[in-house]
Amino acid sequence: MSFWDYVSSRREQLWIETWMHASAVFQCMVIATLIGVVVAIATYRSALASRIAIGTTATVLTIPSFALLGLLIPMLGLGVAPTVVALVLYALLPIVRNAIVGLAGVDPQLVDAARGIGMNRVMILLRIELPLAWPALLTGIRVSTQMIMGIAAIAAYVSGPGLGNEIFTGLARLGSANAINAAWAGTLGVVVLALLFDAAYALLGRLTVPRGIRG
Amino acid sequence: MSGGPVRPVGSAVDAETRAARPPALPSRFGWTDFVVMPVFLGLVLLVLWQWISHQDLDPIERVTLAWPNVRRRIVEHIQLTALSTVLVLIIAIPLGILLTRRQARRFAPFALALANVGQATPAIGLLVLLTLWLGVGVKVAIIGAVAYAVLPVLSNTIAGLEDVDRQLVEAARGIGMSMPGVLFKVEFPLAVPLVLAGVRNALVLNVGTATLATFVNAGGLGDIIQDGILLQRTVVLIVGSVLTVVLALTVDWLASLAEQGLRPRGLRNGG
Repeated sequence: MSFWDYVSSRREQLWIETWMHASAVFQCMVIATLIGVVVAIATYRSALASRIAIGTTATVLTIPSFALLGLLIPMLGLGVAPTVVALVLYALLPIVRNAIVGLAGVDPQLVDAARGIGMNRVMILLRIELPLAWPALLTGIRVSTQMIMGIAAIAAYVSGPGLGNEIFTGLARLGSANAINAAWAGTLGVVVLALLFDAAYALLGRLTVPRGIRG
Repeated sequence: MSGGPVRPVGSAVDAETRAARPPALPSRFGWTDFVVMPVFLGLVLLVLWQWISHQDLDPIERVTLAWPNVRRRIVEHIQLTALSTVLVLIIAIPLGILLTRRQARRFAPFALALANVGQATPAIGLLVLLTLWLGVGVKVAIIGAVAYAVLPVLSNTIAGLEDVDRQLVEAARGIGMSMPGVLFKVEFPLAVPLVLAGVRNALVLNVGTATLATFVNAGGLGDIIQDGILLQRTVVLIVGSVLTVVLALTVDWLASLAEQGLRPRGLRNGG
């Protein structure tokens, strides 16, 4: 069976797996972005606190994903729960780091000026600092998404959802006719999804980066 | 937690992030760099050891967790990591230098674009495809790890060399240095921090890919984790995972010390 025959004969299953993969990554990115921005806001004003936040998230990123999943299984069982926790943890570092760098890089004179025209802390954060930090944050989100796309594939081994299942099916049927097709479908599917997400972020950047700081 | 200046993440190092200057943090060695991580890892191992010795192990767990087996997996893991890292550096650094020379510079964007696509490729997919093509074994695991890590290190090297101030290069040429002289005495020392970051990056990626080597029958600590999952033995699963984590953090810690220690003196502060 050729690759295209394989894809068209399993169209529905592949479509579901692709959808699950994309939706898992997207939802984990939303959670990770919320947590990451809160952590960054809480720590960016202190060099020590931001160093601790970045150090901790960097340490998590160093842990091989298979080992982290292995540690989460005894606590959370197999399936969706360990997948979500692992993906969120891995996504945090680029987001936290870039959000801190972005927030700390805002010109203090701008903040002073904002305070001078009567803005309070929250308004300064929402209307001055976060918009100016947004391009850096968006880059962090892009990097995180690319990374957890691939990690999500490994999560299929612990019964996680998504295209990783195709890859492990290929591995399990080593030698059978469709093994290569399944592995290709899974791998290419992840690559294509990653590129689509990246294009979407590029578009989002075009639409949302404030005019004044656009390159 | 290692020191070092805080850099934004982003392989492409977008202009936006580059513009946002990181807060200046001290980047010299502090005593915490030497103490915190080893003490933490030592404690983790101690707790693991205590916990194991109070467990009632069944025969299967006893066999899997016997020291000779565990030691073999650790040694395999270190070998896989070391070998693939050496290969990555042998390929990526000369290639990075080559792609920043004037004659070959037009190929650099192509390599960077390829690196971006490569980043999106799942390591496990790559490994499985290689296995279907070449069969199982250590060789395939190493090829997979190298293929996976070579592009990020390459793009780091290119970015590092391109970041070198053109005026410095011209000044060096102006005082009569040869092209190789400029490369080895000016460009390379200035790019050392980024190359060292690439080395660390390769090590971390390869420790992770070596964990997946078990799927292609190439051993490593992933074997113990997989045993734990397949045999449904939580103790085995936890021992395998914790040992892998400890090994990965140790490797990263050593690499971070090297990253700071080998940095040229003039670049120690602020990166």
